Amino acid sequence: MSTAVELRGVGKSFTSVRDRRTEDVFSDFSLTVEPGELVALVGASGTGKTTLLHMVAGLERPDTGHVSGVGPGGDHGRLGVVFQQPRLLDWLPVRANVEIALRSAGLDPGAADAALAQVGLSEYADKYPSVLSGGQRQRVAVARAFAVDPSVVLLDEPFSALDELTGRRLRLLLQDLWTRQRRVGLLVTHSPAEAVFLADRVLVLAGRPAKVVREYHVSLPRPRSPEDPALFDLHRRVVADLL
Amino acid sequence: MSVRTPAPAREAGERPPRGPAPRRRPGPRSRRWQGPAAAASFLLLLVGGWHVMALALDSVLVPGVDRIGAEVLRLLGDPRFYADLGVTFQRVALGFALAFVVAVCVGIAMGRSPLARRFFEPAVLIGLTVPGLVWALLCVIWFGVALINPVMAVALSSAPALTLSIYQGTRATDAHLLEMAHVYRFSFRDRLRHLWLPSLAPALFGGARLGLSLAWKVIVLVEIFGMSSGVGAAINGEFASQNVAGVLAWTVLFAFVMALLEYGLLQGLENRAGRWRKVSAV
Repeated sequence: MSTAVELRGVGKSFTSVRDRRTEDVFSDFSLTVEPGELVALVGASGTGKTTLLHMVAGLERPDTGHVSGVGPGGDHGRLGVVFQQPRLLDWLPVRANVEIALRSAGLDPGAADAALAQVGLSEYADKYPSVLSGGQRQRVAVARAFAVDPSVVLLDEPFSALDELTGRRLRLLLQDLWTRQRRVGLLVTHSPAEAVFLADRVLVLAGRPAKVVREYHVSLPRPRSPEDPALFDLHRRVVADLL
Repeated sequence: MSVRTPAPAREAGERPPRGPAPRRRPGPRSRRWQGPAAAASFLLLLVGGWHVMALALDSVLVPGVDRIGAEVLRLLGDPRFYADLGVTFQRVALGFALAFVVAVCVGIAMGRSPLARRFFEPAVLIGLTVPGLVWALLCVIWFGVALINPVMAVALSSAPALTLSIYQGTRATDAHLLEMAHVYRFSFRDRLRHLWLPSLAPALFGGARLGLSLAWKVIVLVEIFGMSSGVGAAINGEFASQNVAGVLAWTVLFAFVMALLEYGLLQGLENRAGRWRKVSAV
């Protein structure tokens, strides 16, 4: 796997609709995610974390600079994205939701059942998403993201809308899926605990334009336990940076 | 374009108003029949009132229910009735299909691109304000007795309402799902079939109801002015022979069949399209 996500000298500004003032969210921002690495971005609301992810996904274009990701029109490989909301097609059964992503990726739609089995939802394949719980719906979204055999996985606050226990189960599931095959991963999160638990590297973003104010390497081997005191220590330090 | 009255909001902590307690609440069985019974009683009143009026006026211009009923029965036994009805229905179906295809394309384009919206907006506004009668006349003048005449008249009169409805539905489509379809690179076909059409379904059905109701009106006019077959031509024939009961019988039957189609067919399709929603309501 030679794929990496690279942002070079990226600038992005927004013009506020109300007072027509232009604000630089990013200015000459650079970031490289190495193959096999999962990088977490943490920071207060409004620092531009999601904008960054959108640029990598090809949903937004940088004003200046260069983003090499996998967005449509991008060069290498496929993209799997887990958004904050499941973003399923409510009018299609769960299996069809995964199948359509597989078909769009040029893969065999028959792999949908295996993908659902990986997240423990085999028996719900024929159900409509509306009868699933919030956690189960997000599991479907995770299954869809990994089913397309992505070279890059983007996670946009994937578990922040879930309750604590459901979120923890899904984090463990994600760790499991990640360990099976490592890709290039970018995780945006509000939760320092989630960041240190899942990521190889945690970047703290702050300021306007946003800069990386602190970088932590998490060298603990996987599988990790959420109760690991070393993680908790790291978590405390990230929280201290954010406060 | 239905307006829903929002339920009156109740202040937090306010208790529901306590009227005199109903002595006996109607059981579920009788409640189920309340709606149909109310509708039936309206129709009974209408028919009865009409008959009383006919008796009181005692004029050939206002035939009684018995004479209209006799005409209805005569028509139902006449094979030409079914032929005329079929011809009219075919014209409406073709015109409406044309309007539907155009409206889906234009409506989605308007919802997606401000430039397209600006471009088509005048067309939709003009289309909405031109009376069906004018479309009917113009189409008769331009296309004569060819099939394209009624088809165009139906399409022109129903497309604007349908387009407007689809445009509004497009704006209500979840942008999050569009992003999702974008990152997973859905094909155009999948996007249309699995994203746009299902999200537009409520708008499509609302627009279809409105468009069809306009189509029924304009098709009869076109057939009166310029066609020798179809429901409108038949009504024109009854009118020419000064058979008021015949005109009324045609009107009643036509309205009945169209209502049946609208409620039977559209409602059925709508229920099918909304299956997934029902499941969630349980």
